[in-house]
This record gives sequence, structure tokens and C-alpha cells, in this order.
Amino acid sequence: MLALEFPPINEILRWQDVFPSFNKIAIIAVAAALIGTLIFLIAGNADGSKAPRGVRNLAEAIVEFIEGQIIMPTMGRDGLGWTPFLLSIFSFIYLCNVPGIIPIIQMPATARMAIPLFLSLLVWIVFIGVGFKHQGLGYLKSSLFPPGVPAALYILVTPIEFISTFLVRPFSLTVRLFANMLAGHILLVTFALLTESLVQGGNIALVPVGILPFFMLVFLTAFEVLVAFLQAYIFTILAAVYIGGAAHPEH
Amino acid sequence: MLRAVVTYGSQGPEVLLVAAEGEEGYSEYTFADCAIIPDGESPSTKIEGLEECDEGPSPIMPEAKEFFWGAGSFVLFALLMRFFLYPRLRRSMDAREAAIQEAHASAEAERDAAKGEVSAYESALAEVRAEAAARIDAARATVEAERTTRLAEANEAISARRAAAVADVDAAHDAARAQVGTAVATVASRAVELATGRAPDPNSVSRVVDELMNSGVAQ
Amino acid sequence: MEAFTILAQEADKAAAAASSAGFAYGLAAIGPGIGIGYLVGKSVEAMARQPEAAGMVRTTMFLGIAFTEALALIGFVVFILIGL
Repeated sequence: MLALEFPPINEILRWQDVFPSFNKIAIIAVAAALIGTLIFLIAGNADGSKAPRGVRNLAEAIVEFIEGQIIMPTMGRDGLGWTPFLLSIFSFIYLCNVPGIIPIIQMPATARMAIPLFLSLLVWIVFIGVGFKHQGLGYLKSSLFPPGVPAALYILVTPIEFISTFLVRPFSLTVRLFANMLAGHILLVTFALLTESLVQGGNIALVPVGILPFFMLVFLTAFEVLVAFLQAYIFTILAAVYIGGAAHPEH
Repeated sequence: MLRAVVTYGSQGPEVLLVAAEGEEGYSEYTFADCAIIPDGESPSTKIEGLEECDEGPSPIMPEAKEFFWGAGSFVLFALLMRFFLYPRLRRSMDAREAAIQEAHASAEAERDAAKGEVSAYESALAEVRAEAAARIDAARATVEAERTTRLAEANEAISARRAAAVADVDAAHDAARAQVGTAVATVASRAVELATGRAPDPNSVSRVVDELMNSGVAQ
Repeated sequence: MEAFTILAQEADKAAAAASSAGFAYGLAAIGPGIGIGYLVGKSVEAMARQPEAAGMVRTTMFLGIAFTEALALIGFVVFILIGL
């Protein structure tokens, strides 16, 4: 009988502190900020008058992606001032996600609750702040008492709007990013363990079978590249939608 | 595998689960040789030589240290991006875009200028062509006129020559006829003289010969 | 004997928690699965009918997927919470 023992989830997320209060997640977060800074620093230093190449090309592609694919469809031309904020959110999340598939590191920093929670609280504060800045107290009125609803229905609509706007939004932002990355991490661990126990289980007949979960592992690793990008994109576009919606209620 | 150590304390049974050293599956985890205390249990007696296990973080609860490290690095990154990295990139991107726009505009202007030159050249070409065509037409007309006059001259010369030839032929004919008439008259008068012994009137002979010759021609 | 009973009860609880966690996630995945399938299918149809609007449709599709997927992910979190 195959002895496959799956460790409890908290064990696959357990990392010793390098020095007190500085663990692997913190390393990845700091490294993500550093790498992001480095990419944009090198890009900024490169000669901007010629056609962009290498790192500069990458940085400009990211900037144009943020502007063309995230801000323009959701906030329009007025939202272009939000580019640096959304650009740093996108780059930071992507650089925190992508260590999940880099060999040896194999841990997305966003698979822990802390970083997604911080980012979505930040987005939450920003979009509420933008709402009050652009509409004053009218923001509460337009978000809690949406126009075009019969007065009697406000008893029903207002609590729902309150919950969905002010409570569910940050919660779903956090959980979406965190759970996607954690699920991907668990999947990779599962197939890696399965491969290992089949190949090293001591039963020669099972060794060829171990190739199947190994291919699945490779495939899932490729899939996680896509997920890392997609989750960064979705987090950023939702942040843009929330901020744009708070700035212009009619949208 | 976990080993259970059950002790009876003051509040009833207490269960401690102990991970043993060298157990398979536990050697790679650092918290072997420690006691896992189930939730809600508070053991009154510590097991000799065993610390309470570090269970690893809860998968759900955010950890303060990760939160603050993540927050710090993100805030720093975002501030750098807002005030330093992005503006620099944007500026040079805008500068390049402006340069490209300018180059496009100047290229457009150059193209327009070139188009103007081409049209000027084409109009000049058309003028020259028209002139050439006019000259060719004029030359053709001159040649045509000359040809016509020459043709007319030649025709005239031909007809003159023909008339002269016809006149010559007529003259020769007449001369030949006159000779033949004279000869016939001489022969006839000689024959009449021989026959009659006297010379006939030359006038009547020539008249008769003329009559005969004319009727002969008419026949 | 009493100790074994307690251990057995703990084991029963753990097994019950594991299977109910599995059920919770399985049930939570049904709705979003149908929803995302329907959503992406309709989006592809829209893109095929109007390829010039593909960019807008794609953006909206990703937004819709994000909202629909959140339900499955909450189910996943519940799975972890129960399984602990």
C-alpha cells in the first residue's frame, strides 16, 4: 500500500525566521519591492530616445498595459493619474506571486493572508478617500442610496449596498488573491508529494506511474505562471474599478 | 505518527500528543521532539524535556510580522514609484513620443514638399510635352503641305509630259499619214499615168487618196 | 480505556471535519463552475460576433470571472477553516 502522508496545511506554510520577525514571506516581499524598483530604475536610466530594448522595453510594456488595458477601460482618461499607484500594485503583486513557481523559492508571498490583506485595506482606504474627496458626503448618499430605487426599497437596498461596498469589497479582494495563490501552492505540493512517494516508494512497478503526476506538476507550474499574472491583473483592475466608481458615481 | 501521552490531572484526563524523534515524515520538520497541545487543553504537567510545539502559522490568520514587512516594502515601493521611478520613465516616454510625433510631422511636411515638387515637375513636363506635340504637329503640317505641293508638281509634270507625248504621237501619226498619203498619191498618179498615158490632176488624186484612206481608217 | 475513548473521539472528529471540509468545497465549486462556464461561453460568442469589441468584452469578462470566482474561493477558505 502506498504510504502518502500529506502534511497539514500549516506545515507547508511554515518558515523559520531568518532573524526575529523576518521570515521567507518578508524576504519575498522585500525582494519584490527591490526587484520592482530595480527594473524601473534600470528602465529609467536607459536611453529613452531610441526604441526601447530589454528591461526598458519590459517596463514600458507594463506601463502601457496598465494604462491601456486597466485604466482606460475602467476609469477613462481622467484615471491616468492613478497609473503609478496601480503600476506599483500590479508589479508588487506579480513579483510576490511569481516566486510560487520559481524553483527553490517555491512560495508565493501572497499565499499568506498578510500581504493581500494589507493591499486590499489600502485599496479600500483609497477608494473611500477618493469618494469623499470627489463627492464629499454625497458619496455616502450615492453609494448607500442608489438613485432610481423606490423609497420603500431603501430598507432592503441600503444594508445590501453597505455590506457589498464597504465590507465585501476588501474581503473579496483579499480572499481572491490569497486563496488563488494558496490553492495553487497546495496543488503544486500535492503533485510533488505524489510524484516523490511514487518514485521513491520502494516499489519498482510504481516508478513509471510516477511520471504522470510529474507531468501534471510541470503543467500546473505553467498554469501557475498564468494565474500569477491573472491574479495581479484582476486585483489591479478591480482596484481601478472601485476607485473609478468612487470618483464618478454615474459610471 | 504522533504518540499520545495521557495524564490524569486535577481536571480530568489530559492528552498530549508527542512527535517522536526519527519518526518517518517528521525528520524534515524542525519541530520534532515537541508536544502538540490540542486546542482548549491546558496541561498541568509539562513533559520532561519537551517544549510546546510551534504548530506553524494558521493558514488563514494574517501574521503581524508578514503584514508589516509587506506593508513597509510596498509603501516604499509605491512612494518611489510615485515620486521617482514612474515620472522619470514617463518623462522620457513622453519625450520620445513627442520626438516621434515631431519626426512624423516633419516627415509629413517633407512629403508634402516633395509632392509639390513632383507636381511642379509634372506640370513642367506636361508643358514641354504639349510644346513638343505642337511642334510635331506643325512639322507634320509643313511636311504634309510640301508633300502635297510636290505631288501636285509631279502630277503636273507627268500630265505635261503625257500631253507632249500624246502630241508627239499625234504629230508622228499625222506625219506618217501624210507620208503614206503622198506615197499612195505618187504611186496612184504613176499608175494612172502608166495606164492612161497622161498625168492625172494631182489635186483630184490626193482627194481620192484622202477619201480612201479616211474610209479605210473608218472601216 | 478512557484515554483510548478520548483518542477515538478525537480521531472521529478529525475524520468528520475532513470529509465535511471536502463536501463544503465541492458544493461551493458547483455554482461558480456553472457561472464561469456560462460567462466565458457568452463572452466568446460576443467576441465572435463583434471582433472589434473584443477588448471591452474581455475586460468585462475578467471582471465577471473575478466576482463569480470569489464564491468558490470563499468555499476554499471554508475548506481550510473546517479542515484545521
